[in-house]
Amino acid sequence: MHLVVQAVILGLLTGGVYALMASGLTLAFGVMRVINVAQGALIILSAYLTYTLFVHAGLDPFVALLVITPGMFVLGMLLQFVFIRPLRSEDREELSLLVTWAIALGIEGVLSVVFKTTYRSVNTGYTNATWDVGGYTITQVRFYGFLLSVAILGLLFLALTRTRIGRAIRAVVQNPVSARLLGIETERVAAVGFGLSAATASAAGAVYAMVYPFNPNSHYDLISLLLTIIVLGGLGSLGGAILAALFMGVAEAVLAATISPTWAKLTFFVALLTLLLIRPQGLFGVKARGAI
Amino acid sequence: MSLLQLENVVAGYGFGDVLKGIDLTLERETITCLIGPNGAGKSTVLKTISGLLHPRHGSVRFEGEDIARRRPRAVLDLGIVQVPQERSLFPLMSVWENMLMGAYILNDHREARRRAESLAERFQLVRDRRTERAGSLSGGEQKLVEIARALMLDPKLLLFDEPSAGLAPQARAQVFEVLGSLRGGGWTILLVEQNARSGLSIADCGAVLDAGVVKLEKPATSLLADPEVARLYLGARRDPVGVSTNRPPERPAASTRVTATRKEKPVE
Ligand SMILES: Nc1ncnc2c1ncn2[C@@H]1O[C@H](COP(=O)(O)OP(=O)(O)OP(=O)(O)O)[C@@H](O)[C@H]1O
Ligand SMILES: [Mg+2]
Repeated sequence: MHLVVQAVILGLLTGGVYALMASGLTLAFGVMRVINVAQGALIILSAYLTYTLFVHAGLDPFVALLVITPGMFVLGMLLQFVFIRPLRSEDREELSLLVTWAIALGIEGVLSVVFKTTYRSVNTGYTNATWDVGGYTITQVRFYGFLLSVAILGLLFLALTRTRIGRAIRAVVQNPVSARLLGIETERVAAVGFGLSAATASAAGAVYAMVYPFNPNSHYDLISLLLTIIVLGGLGSLGGAILAALFMGVAEAVLAATISPTWAKLTFFVALLTLLLIRPQGLFGVKARGAI
Repeated sequence: MSLLQLENVVAGYGFGDVLKGIDLTLERETITCLIGPNGAGKSTVLKTISGLLHPRHGSVRFEGEDIARRRPRAVLDLGIVQVPQERSLFPLMSVWENMLMGAYILNDHREARRRAESLAERFQLVRDRRTERAGSLSGGEQKLVEIARALMLDPKLLLFDEPSAGLAPQARAQVFEVLGSLRGGGWTILLVEQNARSGLSIADCGAVLDAGVVKLEKPATSLLADPEVARLYLGARRDPVGVSTNRPPERPAASTRVTATRKEKPVE
């Protein structure tokens, strides 16, 4: 029992970070009908940026975020402008898979040239520090990562509901034609949405870099995980993605603790396949369109 | 000078033209009802006015200015608001948020709230259901909110695309009541309607669009009185014997129409 509770704690902490990662993917899908399979690569890119700033400039990963996040935001807008926007809206959904996959491979290629394929990790002074809470161990880094993810998700939520651009983003997600008829410049809004989506990769990457060793290929693992989560949560639903992420985090940790880590990885795919067979709209998803 | 003037407008979506040289004039503070069979191009006319679609030839003059190549945002700035044929509320936002979105371009929250409050006095539905998610309202209720939202910018010209389509008789009557109540409020209205009799009865002018051209443009009363028009475009009159001849084909059921039109993606 102790083992399971410990695993649930770990799973929730990890799930919070997954939730942040998946929210980026969901947002991009919402505003542009684009399944951005480069999201994993963007996270790994952020992990390397965190690593570089840590090793060469001595910047703490949490501080480095202040630099990396705006950078990723701009990169996201650029990618949308150069690669996604030219796709005609009729076949954007399908073509975007190819285009963003190409972006992912491009990022992987550049990272492989610059950093080689050696595994790296960011070891801060507090990387291995833990707390003991009532007999359960909590890794500090994971806890900070969780807090950061929750904070960013909260900010994202506030931005989407309380700001002018946020309302515009939600309008575009929920009814693009209507948004245009009310004077919202949908292309510009979509670019900002895509930028925000990429910006979430920054914090996710920083946490990833502190918790796991990574190399340029790590994005394959990440993206399959993330795709499972957003399918589970119902494509385009932010709330669904968050629930699914927590669920997957816990399921993974519990299985790893009680059966074996190999089984844990397999869980994702078994879960995904089963789900697609019985509930194609996702476990928590309302419906594909407009759940932000 | 008339408020809006379409001259020889040719427009379409890919190959071929849907509108094949449209001429249409709207006088200030009048209601014009545009009727015509399915696929005649009625929605396309509205889209070329609102900027969702740019015509290939011809001119669209608003207060004398050619607006044919403007984007929807720029058209909105001039005071032209379109309520599209499809549902256009943001389903996950509340009724109130939807109202405020109607004044998005004002970029003035306080003013938007003030306008929404004053419209809420006029539209009971907005007042009573303000915190409800728009998506949870019935089709007819949503249409009424859409109409209310269209007034947020106090536009000069209102374009309504089949606001009564697919509604139950009672909801339809409510929509026509609201539309009728807009008469004399200083707005100019272009109303596309398949319920042609009801549409024409609240209108000053009527125009018949068929196969991409305006076949007739006349005072609404004379269109209603014209037996030829009645036979071709108004559907059967409820006639005492209960039998009618030459009944035009029924419109497809509302559900099929929705799926058919959702696919519409106007090209720039
Ligand atoms: N986005 C689009 N792409 C391609 N063709 C389109 C598009 N929208 C409409 N059409 C075609 O243009 C023609 C006119 O369409 P339009 O929607 O203007 O007709 P309508 O008079 O409004 O019909 P309805 O009464 O069914 O609303 C139809 O043949 C339709 O199939
Ligand atoms: Mg139409």
